[in-house]
Amino acid sequence: MRRMGASTKVMAAGTAVEPLTAVTAEDLAAQEFARIVESHRPQIFRFLLSSLRDIDLAETLTQECFLKAHRNWKHFRGDSTAMTWLMRIAINLQKDYWRNRRIQFWRQTRTNAVDLDEASEWLPNGERNAEQQMLAREQVAQVWQAVKGLSERQRTVFLLRYVEERELSEIAAATGLSEGTVKAHLSRAVGRVRTELRGTR
Amino acid sequence: MNREQDWSGENPQMDMEPDLELAQALKHFKASLDAWSDAALSQPRTTAKLAVRHSWRMVAGWALGCLLVMGSLAGTVREIYQRQEMARIAAQKAAQKIAEERAAAARVTAQPGSAQPVNMLPVGAQSDKKTPAATTRKASPTMDSAEAQDEDLLASVDSDVSREVPAAMEPLAQLMDDNDTQ
Repeated sequence: MRRMGASTKVMAAGTAVEPLTAVTAEDLAAQEFARIVESHRPQIFRFLLSSLRDIDLAETLTQECFLKAHRNWKHFRGDSTAMTWLMRIAINLQKDYWRNRRIQFWRQTRTNAVDLDEASEWLPNGERNAEQQMLAREQVAQVWQAVKGLSERQRTVFLLRYVEERELSEIAAATGLSEGTVKAHLSRAVGRVRTELRGTR
Repeated sequence: MNREQDWSGENPQMDMEPDLELAQALKHFKASLDAWSDAALSQPRTTAKLAVRHSWRMVAGWALGCLLVMGSLAGTVREIYQRQEMARIAAQKAAQKIAEERAAAARVTAQPGSAQPVNMLPVGAQSDKKTPAATTRKASPTMDSAEAQDEDLLASVDSDVSREVPAAMEPLAQLMDDNDTQ
Protein backbone atom coordinates (compact mmCIF):
# COMPACT_ATOMS: atom_id res chain seq x y z
CA MET A 1 0.00 0.00 0.00
CA ARG A 2 2.80 2.29 0.93
CA ARG A 3 4.76 1.35 -2.25
CA MET A 4 1.75 1.95 -4.46
CA GLY A 5 1.24 5.30 -2.92
CA ALA A 6 4.84 6.24 -3.58
CA SER A 7 4.69 5.22 -7.26
CA THR A 8 1.48 7.17 -7.73
CA LYS A 9 3.18 10.19 -6.33
CA VAL A 10 6.08 9.78 -8.73
CA MET A 11 3.76 9.37 -11.74
CA ALA A 12 1.77 12.35 -10.71
CA ALA A 13 4.90 14.36 -10.46
CA GLY A 14 6.02 13.10 -13.89
CA THR A 15 2.79 14.01 -15.63
CA ALA A 16 2.84 17.37 -14.03
CA VAL A 17 6.40 18.21 -15.05
CA GLU A 18 6.70 16.69 -18.55
CA PRO A 19 4.27 19.00 -20.47
CA LEU A 20 5.83 21.97 -18.80
CA THR A 21 9.32 21.09 -20.09
CA ALA A 22 7.97 20.36 -23.60
CA VAL A 23 6.22 23.70 -23.76
CA THR A 24 9.31 25.44 -22.54
CA ALA A 25 11.49 23.77 -25.19
CA GLU A 26 9.02 24.73 -27.93
CA ASP A 27 8.86 28.25 -26.60
CA LEU A 28 12.60 28.48 -26.55
CA ALA A 29 12.86 27.22 -30.13
CA ALA A 30 10.19 29.68 -31.25
CA GLN A 31 11.93 32.52 -29.45
CA GLU A 32 15.24 31.59 -31.00
CA PHE A 33 13.70 31.43 -34.46
CA ALA A 34 11.96 34.77 -33.92
CA ARG A 35 15.29 36.28 -32.94
CA ILE A 36 16.91 34.87 -36.07
CA VAL A 37 14.14 36.28 -38.24
CA GLU A 38 14.47 39.64 -36.57
CA SER A 39 18.22 39.81 -37.07
CA HIS A 40 18.55 38.24 -40.55
CA ARG A 41 15.46 39.44 -42.35
CA PRO A 42 16.98 42.76 -43.54
CA GLN A 43 19.99 40.98 -45.03
CA ILE A 44 17.96 38.30 -46.79
CA PHE A 45 15.61 40.97 -48.11
CA ARG A 46 18.49 43.14 -49.30
CA PHE A 47 20.14 40.24 -51.09
CA LEU A 48 16.88 39.30 -52.84
CA LEU A 49 16.14 42.93 -53.65
CA SER A 50 19.55 43.40 -55.23
CA SER A 51 19.16 40.19 -57.21
CA LEU A 52 15.63 40.81 -58.45
CA ARG A 53 15.22 44.64 -58.28
CA ASP A 54 11.59 44.03 -57.37
CA ILE A 55 10.41 45.08 -53.91
CA ASP A 56 7.21 43.02 -53.87
CA LEU A 57 8.92 39.93 -55.17
CA ALA A 58 11.83 40.33 -52.75
CA GLU A 59 9.37 40.66 -49.88
CA THR A 60 7.43 37.57 -51.01
CA LEU A 61 10.57 35.46 -51.40
CA THR A 62 11.84 36.65 -48.03
CA GLN A 63 8.60 35.49 -46.44
CA GLU A 64 8.87 32.16 -48.24
CA CYS A 65 12.47 31.81 -47.15
CA PHE A 66 11.57 32.19 -43.48
CA LEU A 67 8.54 29.95 -43.86
CA LYS A 68 10.75 27.21 -45.28
CA ALA A 69 13.31 27.82 -42.57
CA HIS A 70 10.60 27.56 -39.90
CA ARG A 71 9.35 24.26 -41.33
CA ASN A 72 12.87 22.82 -41.40
CA TRP A 73 14.19 24.48 -38.28
CA LYS A 74 14.35 21.17 -36.40
CA HIS A 75 16.55 19.73 -39.19
CA PHE A 76 19.06 22.55 -38.95
CA ARG A 77 22.12 20.90 -37.43
CA GLY A 78 24.21 23.99 -37.07
CA ASP A 79 26.97 22.85 -39.45
CA SER A 80 27.05 26.35 -40.88
CA THR A 81 25.81 29.60 -39.44
CA ALA A 82 22.08 30.34 -39.51
CA MET A 83 22.80 33.17 -41.92
CA THR A 84 24.53 30.86 -44.41
CA TRP A 85 21.68 28.37 -44.10
CA LEU A 86 19.07 31.07 -44.68
CA MET A 87 21.05 32.48 -47.57
CA ARG A 88 21.17 29.06 -49.16
CA ILE A 89 17.36 28.80 -48.94
CA ALA A 90 17.03 32.29 -50.43
CA ILE A 91 19.37 31.44 -53.31
CA ASN A 92 17.39 28.28 -54.06
CA LEU A 93 14.12 30.21 -54.00
CA GLN A 94 15.58 32.76 -56.37
CA LYS A 95 16.79 29.98 -58.70
CA ASP A 96 13.32 28.44 -58.67
CA TYR A 97 11.83 31.81 -59.48
CA TRP A 98 14.10 32.36 -62.49
CA ARG A 99 13.51 28.82 -63.69
CA ASN A 100 9.72 29.23 -63.50
CA ARG A 101 9.99 32.56 -65.19
CA ARG A 102 11.91 31.06 -68.08
CA ILE A 103 9.23 28.38 -68.49
CA GLN A 104 6.36 30.84 -68.13
CA PHE A 105 7.54 33.03 -70.97
CA TRP A 106 4.19 34.79 -71.25
CA ARG A 107 4.89 36.45 -67.91
CA GLN A 108 7.95 38.18 -69.31
CA THR A 109 6.00 41.35 -69.90
CA ARG A 110 4.48 41.40 -66.44
CA THR A 111 7.28 42.48 -64.19
CA ASN A 112 7.54 44.99 -61.40
CA ALA A 113 11.33 45.14 -61.58
CA VAL A 114 12.62 48.62 -60.96
CA ASP A 115 14.48 50.37 -63.75
CA LEU A 116 18.24 50.65 -63.35
CA ASP A 117 18.10 54.44 -63.26
CA GLU A 118 15.51 54.32 -60.53
CA ALA A 119 17.58 51.83 -58.54
CA SER A 120 20.59 54.14 -58.85
CA GLU A 121 18.66 57.04 -57.35
CA TRP A 122 18.92 55.57 -53.87
CA LEU A 123 21.95 57.09 -52.26
CA PRO A 124 22.40 58.37 -48.70
CA ASN A 125 23.11 62.09 -48.66
CA GLY A 126 26.00 61.95 -46.18
CA GLU A 127 28.14 65.03 -46.18
CA ARG A 128 28.84 65.15 -49.87
CA ASN A 129 28.30 68.05 -52.15
CA ALA A 130 26.14 67.95 -55.26
CA GLU A 131 29.02 67.08 -57.58
CA GLN A 132 30.12 64.17 -55.45
CA GLN A 133 26.54 62.99 -55.23
CA MET A 134 26.22 63.05 -58.97
CA LEU A 135 29.49 61.18 -59.42
CA ALA A 136 28.43 58.56 -56.88
CA ARG A 137 25.08 58.13 -58.59
CA GLU A 138 26.80 57.67 -61.92
CA GLN A 139 29.08 55.03 -60.46
CA VAL A 140 26.16 53.20 -58.90
CA ALA A 141 24.36 53.22 -62.24
CA GLN A 142 27.45 51.78 -63.93
CA VAL A 143 27.75 49.00 -61.35
CA TRP A 144 24.04 48.20 -61.78
CA GLN A 145 24.55 48.05 -65.53
CA ALA A 146 27.43 45.62 -65.10
CA VAL A 147 25.48 43.51 -62.57
CA LYS A 148 22.58 43.29 -64.99
CA GLY A 149 24.88 41.78 -67.61
CA LEU A 150 26.26 39.11 -65.28
CA SER A 151 25.14 35.51 -65.31
CA GLU A 152 22.90 34.37 -62.48
CA ARG A 153 25.71 32.63 -60.64
CA GLN A 154 28.20 35.46 -61.11
CA ARG A 155 25.65 37.97 -59.88
CA THR A 156 24.87 35.90 -56.79
CA VAL A 157 28.51 35.52 -55.90
CA PHE A 158 29.23 39.18 -56.57
CA LEU A 159 26.33 40.43 -54.45
CA LEU A 160 27.12 38.07 -51.59
CA ARG A 161 30.70 39.27 -51.58
CA TYR A 162 30.40 43.01 -52.08
CA VAL A 163 26.95 43.80 -50.74
CA GLU A 164 26.47 41.21 -48.02
CA GLU A 165 30.22 41.14 -47.30
CA ARG A 166 30.34 37.37 -46.87
CA GLU A 167 33.59 35.42 -46.71
CA LEU A 168 34.50 33.17 -49.63
CA SER A 169 33.96 30.05 -47.54
CA GLU A 170 30.49 31.27 -46.57
CA ILE A 171 29.65 32.04 -50.19
CA ALA A 172 30.85 28.58 -51.18
CA ALA A 173 28.67 27.02 -48.49
CA ALA A 174 25.64 29.09 -49.43
CA THR A 175 25.89 28.50 -53.17
CA GLY A 176 27.09 24.89 -52.99
CA LEU A 177 30.15 25.72 -55.10
CA SER A 178 33.78 25.15 -54.33
CA GLU A 179 35.86 28.09 -53.19
CA GLY A 180 37.87 27.96 -56.41
CA THR A 181 34.71 28.24 -58.49
CA VAL A 182 33.50 31.09 -56.34
CA LYS A 183 36.80 32.91 -56.88
CA ALA A 184 36.59 32.39 -60.62
CA HIS A 185 33.02 33.72 -60.78
CA LEU A 186 33.94 36.64 -58.59
CA SER A 187 36.95 37.47 -60.72
CA ARG A 188 34.85 37.50 -63.89
CA ALA A 189 32.15 39.57 -62.25
CA VAL A 190 34.63 42.13 -60.96
CA GLY A 191 36.32 42.24 -64.34
CA ARG A 192 33.01 43.06 -65.93
CA VAL A 193 32.26 45.81 -63.42
CA ARG A 194 35.71 47.25 -63.98
CA THR A 195 35.24 47.19 -67.74
CA GLU A 196 31.92 48.95 -67.36
CA LEU A 197 33.46 51.62 -65.15
CA ARG A 198 36.34 52.17 -67.53
CA GLY A 199 34.27 51.93 -70.66
CA THR A 200 31.89 54.70 -69.75
CA ARG A 201 34.54 57.10 -68.61
CA MET B 1 36.69 45.13 -43.86
CA ASN B 2 39.29 46.68 -46.09
CA ARG B 3 38.13 46.19 -49.65
CA GLU B 4 41.32 47.43 -51.24
CA GLN B 5 43.33 44.66 -49.57
CA ASP B 6 40.76 42.14 -50.81
CA TRP B 7 41.18 43.36 -54.33
CA SER B 8 44.90 42.73 -54.33
CA GLY B 9 44.90 39.55 -52.27
CA GLU B 10 42.09 37.43 -53.63
CA ASN B 11 42.20 37.98 -57.32
CA PRO B 12 45.63 37.15 -58.66
CA GLN B 13 44.38 37.42 -62.24
CA MET B 14 43.39 41.02 -61.79
CA ASP B 15 45.57 44.07 -61.34
CA MET B 16 47.62 43.93 -58.15
CA GLU B 17 47.39 47.70 -57.78
CA PRO B 18 44.53 48.74 -55.55
CA ASP B 19 41.78 50.07 -57.75
CA LEU B 20 40.50 53.07 -55.88
CA GLU B 21 37.79 53.88 -58.35
CA LEU B 22 36.37 50.37 -58.26
CA ALA B 23 36.42 50.26 -54.48
CA GLN B 24 34.70 53.62 -54.40
CA ALA B 25 32.05 52.50 -56.87
CA LEU B 26 31.37 49.33 -54.90
CA LYS B 27 31.12 51.31 -51.69
CA HIS B 28 28.55 53.59 -53.26
CA PHE B 29 26.71 50.62 -54.71
CA LYS B 30 26.43 49.00 -51.30
CA ALA B 31 25.36 52.25 -49.67
CA SER B 32 22.72 52.73 -52.35
CA LEU B 33 21.38 49.21 -51.88
CA ASP B 34 21.33 49.62 -48.09
CA ALA B 35 19.35 52.83 -48.40
CA TRP B 36 16.91 51.33 -50.87
CA SER B 37 16.45 48.17 -48.83
CA ASP B 38 15.93 50.10 -45.58
CA ALA B 39 13.40 52.37 -47.23
CA ALA B 40 11.54 49.42 -48.73
CA LEU B 41 11.50 47.58 -45.43
CA SER B 42 10.32 50.57 -43.43
CA GLN B 43 7.49 51.55 -45.74
CA PRO B 44 4.08 50.04 -44.91
CA ARG B 45 2.99 47.14 -47.03
CA THR B 46 0.09 47.71 -49.38
CA THR B 47 -1.11 44.19 -49.89
CA ALA B 48 -4.76 45.07 -49.19
CA LYS B 49 -4.72 47.84 -51.77
CA LEU B 50 -2.98 45.61 -54.23
CA ALA B 51 -5.54 42.88 -53.67
CA VAL B 52 -8.36 45.36 -54.21
CA ARG B 53 -6.72 46.67 -57.37
CA HIS B 54 -6.16 43.12 -58.62
CA SER B 55 -9.75 42.14 -57.86
CA TRP B 56 -11.03 45.21 -59.73
CA ARG B 57 -8.85 44.32 -62.65
CA MET B 58 -10.16 40.78 -62.58
CA VAL B 59 -13.77 41.95 -62.39
CA ALA B 60 -13.23 44.37 -65.25
CA GLY B 61 -11.60 41.65 -67.31
CA TRP B 62 -14.44 39.24 -66.69
CA ALA B 63 -17.05 41.91 -67.47
CA LEU B 64 -15.32 42.77 -70.72
CA GLY B 65 -15.02 39.13 -71.65
CA CYS B 66 -18.71 38.49 -70.89
CA LEU B 67 -19.68 41.54 -72.94
CA LEU B 68 -17.67 40.31 -75.89
CA VAL B 69 -19.17 36.83 -75.73
CA MET B 70 -22.71 38.18 -75.33
CA GLY B 71 -22.21 40.63 -78.18
CA SER B 72 -20.95 37.98 -80.53
CA LEU B 73 -23.82 35.65 -79.57
CA ALA B 74 -26.40 38.38 -80.04
CA GLY B 75 -24.90 39.26 -83.41
CA THR B 76 -25.08 35.66 -84.57
CA VAL B 77 -28.69 35.24 -83.40
CA ARG B 78 -29.69 38.49 -85.09
CA GLU B 79 -28.02 37.45 -88.33
CA ILE B 80 -29.84 34.09 -88.33
CA TYR B 81 -33.18 35.78 -87.55
CA GLN B 82 -32.64 38.31 -90.34
CA ARG B 83 -31.87 35.58 -92.88
CA GLN B 84 -34.96 33.65 -91.86
CA GLU B 85 -37.08 36.78 -92.17
CA MET B 86 -35.66 37.55 -95.61
CA ALA B 87 -36.35 33.99 -96.75
CA ARG B 88 -39.91 34.21 -95.44
CA ILE B 89 -40.52 37.52 -97.21
CA ALA B 90 -39.06 36.16 -100.46
CA ALA B 91 -41.27 33.06 -100.25
CA GLN B 92 -44.28 35.25 -99.52
CA LYS B 93 -43.53 37.47 -102.53
CA ALA B 94 -43.05 34.47 -104.81
CA ALA B 95 -46.32 32.96 -103.67
CA GLN B 96 -48.07 36.27 -104.16
CA LYS B 97 -46.62 36.61 -107.65
CA ILE B 98 -47.73 33.10 -108.63
CA ALA B 99 -51.18 33.80 -107.27
CA GLU B 100 -51.37 37.05 -109.24
CA GLU B 101 -50.24 35.32 -112.43
CA ARG B 102 -52.78 32.58 -111.94
CA ALA B 103 -55.46 35.15 -111.38
CA ALA B 104 -54.40 36.96 -114.56
CA ALA B 105 -54.48 33.71 -116.52
CA ALA B 106 -57.90 32.91 -115.19
CA ARG B 107 -59.05 36.40 -116.18
CA VAL B 108 -57.68 35.95 -119.70
CA THR B 109 -59.40 32.61 -120.16
CA ALA B 110 -62.61 34.01 -118.80
CA GLN B 111 -62.66 36.74 -121.53
CA PRO B 112 -64.40 35.49 -124.78
CA GLY B 113 -62.41 35.69 -128.08
CA SER B 114 -59.02 35.88 -126.55
CA ALA B 115 -56.29 34.50 -128.81
CA GLN B 116 -54.20 32.44 -126.49
CA PRO B 117 -54.62 31.82 -122.78
CA VAL B 118 -51.53 32.11 -120.64
CA ASN B 119 -50.49 28.80 -119.23
CA MET B 120 -48.58 29.28 -116.02
CA LEU B 121 -48.20 25.71 -114.93
CA PRO B 122 -44.87 23.91 -115.14
CA VAL B 123 -44.03 21.49 -117.98
CA GLY B 124 -44.69 18.36 -115.97
CA ALA B 125 -47.98 19.64 -114.76
CA GLN B 126 -49.02 20.43 -118.32
CA SER B 127 -48.86 16.81 -119.40
CA ASP B 128 -50.41 15.41 -116.25
CA LYS B 129 -53.23 17.77 -115.68
CA LYS B 130 -55.74 19.14 -118.03
CA THR B 131 -55.74 22.82 -117.39
CA PRO B 132 -58.78 24.94 -117.93
CA ALA B 133 -56.94 26.66 -120.78
CA ALA B 134 -56.40 23.31 -122.52
CA THR B 135 -59.97 22.37 -122.14
CA THR B 136 -60.95 25.73 -123.47
CA ARG B 137 -58.69 25.20 -126.49
CA LYS B 138 -60.30 21.88 -127.24
CA ALA B 139 -63.65 23.34 -126.76
CA SER B 140 -63.17 26.07 -129.35
CA PRO B 141 -62.21 24.77 -132.84
CA THR B 142 -62.15 28.28 -134.27
CA MET B 143 -59.19 29.13 -132.08
CA ASP B 144 -57.31 26.02 -133.24
CA SER B 145 -57.80 26.77 -136.88
CA ALA B 146 -56.57 30.32 -136.41
CA GLU B 147 -53.53 29.03 -134.65
CA ALA B 148 -52.84 26.53 -137.42
CA GLN B 149 -53.13 29.27 -140.02
CA ASP B 150 -50.63 31.36 -138.11
CA GLU B 151 -48.18 28.49 -137.94
CA ASP B 152 -48.51 27.79 -141.70
CA LEU B 153 -47.93 31.40 -142.47
CA LEU B 154 -44.83 31.52 -140.31
CA ALA B 155 -43.47 28.32 -141.91
CA SER B 156 -43.89 29.63 -145.46
CA VAL B 157 -42.24 32.91 -144.53
CA ASP B 158 -39.37 31.00 -143.05
CA SER B 159 -38.90 28.86 -146.13
CA ASP B 160 -39.09 31.92 -148.42
CA VAL B 161 -36.50 33.70 -146.37
CA SER B 162 -34.25 30.68 -146.29
CA ARG B 163 -34.56 30.22 -150.00
CA GLU B 164 -33.47 33.72 -150.77
CA VAL B 165 -29.87 33.34 -151.90
CA PRO B 166 -27.32 36.05 -152.64
CA ALA B 167 -26.34 36.54 -156.29
CA ALA B 168 -22.91 35.01 -155.78
CA MET B 169 -24.45 31.76 -154.62
CA GLU B 170 -26.91 31.56 -157.47
CA PRO B 171 -25.18 28.65 -159.37
CA LEU B 172 -25.03 26.60 -156.20
CA ALA B 173 -28.73 27.26 -155.47
CA GLN B 174 -29.50 26.23 -159.03
CA LEU B 175 -27.65 22.95 -158.51
CA MET B 176 -29.64 22.30 -155.31
CA ASP B 177 -32.91 22.99 -157.14
CA ASP B 178 -31.84 20.52 -159.86
CA ASN B 179 -31.09 17.88 -157.25
CA ASP B 180 -34.49 18.46 -155.67
CA THR B 181 -36.26 17.96 -158.98
CA GLN B 182 -34.33 14.78 -159.69
